[in-house]
Amino acid sequence: MNLMRKFSAAPDVVARSVGDETVILDLASGTYFGLDPVGARMWQLMESGKSLAEICDQMMGEYDVARDTLERDALALADDLANKKLIAVSNEGG
Amino acid sequence: MSNLDGLNHSTVSLTMGSSRAQEPSDQEPYYRWDFPDGTPWARFYRSTSGFVLRFPGLADFEVSVDGRHVSCAPAPGTSRAAAEHLYLNQVLPLALSKLGKLVFHASSVEVEGSVVAFVAQAGRGKSTLAASFAVNGYRFLGDDGLHLEPSDQDYLVMPSHPSIRLWEDSQDQLVSADAQKAPALEFTSKSRFLAGDMLPHCNSPTPLRAAFFLGEGETERTILRPLGAIEAVLEWTKHSFLLEVEDRVTNHAHFERIAALAGAVPCYFLDYPRRYSGLASLRQIIIDVLSSKSTV
Repeated sequence: MNLMRKFSAAPDVVARSVGDETVILDLASGTYFGLDPVGARMWQLMESGKSLAEICDQMMGEYDVARDTLERDALALADDLANKKLIAVSNEGG
Repeated sequence: MSNLDGLNHSTVSLTMGSSRAQEPSDQEPYYRWDFPDGTPWARFYRSTSGFVLRFPGLADFEVSVDGRHVSCAPAPGTSRAAAEHLYLNQVLPLALSKLGKLVFHASSVEVEGSVVAFVAQAGRGKSTLAASFAVNGYRFLGDDGLHLEPSDQDYLVMPSHPSIRLWEDSQDQLVSADAQKAPALEFTSKSRFLAGDMLPHCNSPTPLRAAFFLGEGETERTILRPLGAIEAVLEWTKHSFLLEVEDRVTNHAHFERIAALAGAVPCYFLDYPRRYSGLASLRQIIIDVLSSKSTV
């Protein structure tokens, strides 16, 4: 996993914002996942085609957070979502 | 064609057929409902014309593929009243789900012009709670099968059959001995009380204000907390009537509808000791939540 990677929702995965959270359903397994407001924002930016680095650039202007903390959180979330097969790599960046 | 007095089934027609023995099926059910002790309650099969819902020993219901037509074949010994009861409370909600309607296992009461829903699986006290409100002057809209229709700004609760089913202990504690009862049904020891002066019923669609998902009652104190988004989606989903449980297109559409509902209607987890003496204070807690005065 690296910060140049871009992702898209895996086939059979649908997501919906509920308040400031996001709920994800994997239609293949019937399993649900929840994202808190920060995770929901990362998901939204992933879906818009941004790399993890670009997501961090964007969110640095939105949250009072250190860059290395944000990068660590973005990598951890992408790892978690990829391990659950909820996202697929859409480029081989980096 | 049967004429039932349910209020929300105008989009689904029922044909009540003659009694017929339930022949063993040569296929495995694609879905099943069982009681907590494992006793079969319903089996779901696919057929060339749609679906067959079998309630073992009670009745078979054939549901057309579009959900708009239902035919019933009561098993020998099943009364027409029992078959109609099964239709209204179990089959109709499933048929409505095929039409893209939202239907849940929940009772509902009107409080100050809007509706509070008590969502729970069987046995958790949703009918008792609704009856507790009703006998204290709050109109109920249904004791199970909460049918919601999205409207411009909210969700309307569609009134269902004007009766409440109660176990004997709840009858004794809540309902006057001269309350009007419907005839007993052979497959349940619950009594069905008809709406009237003692149990007022609201028969017009009314906006849903909040939903309370009932815990199992293994608590010595009242617990009330708002549900987060994922919890609300999971709870609404878990308590949905859904005929097409395997179809991805249906599940996707259902997910979208549930997520929209979870985002629009405040949802709470509510658990409390199941003591009749505590119902008055519980009602007040619920009313206070609606006016944002709760301190629980």
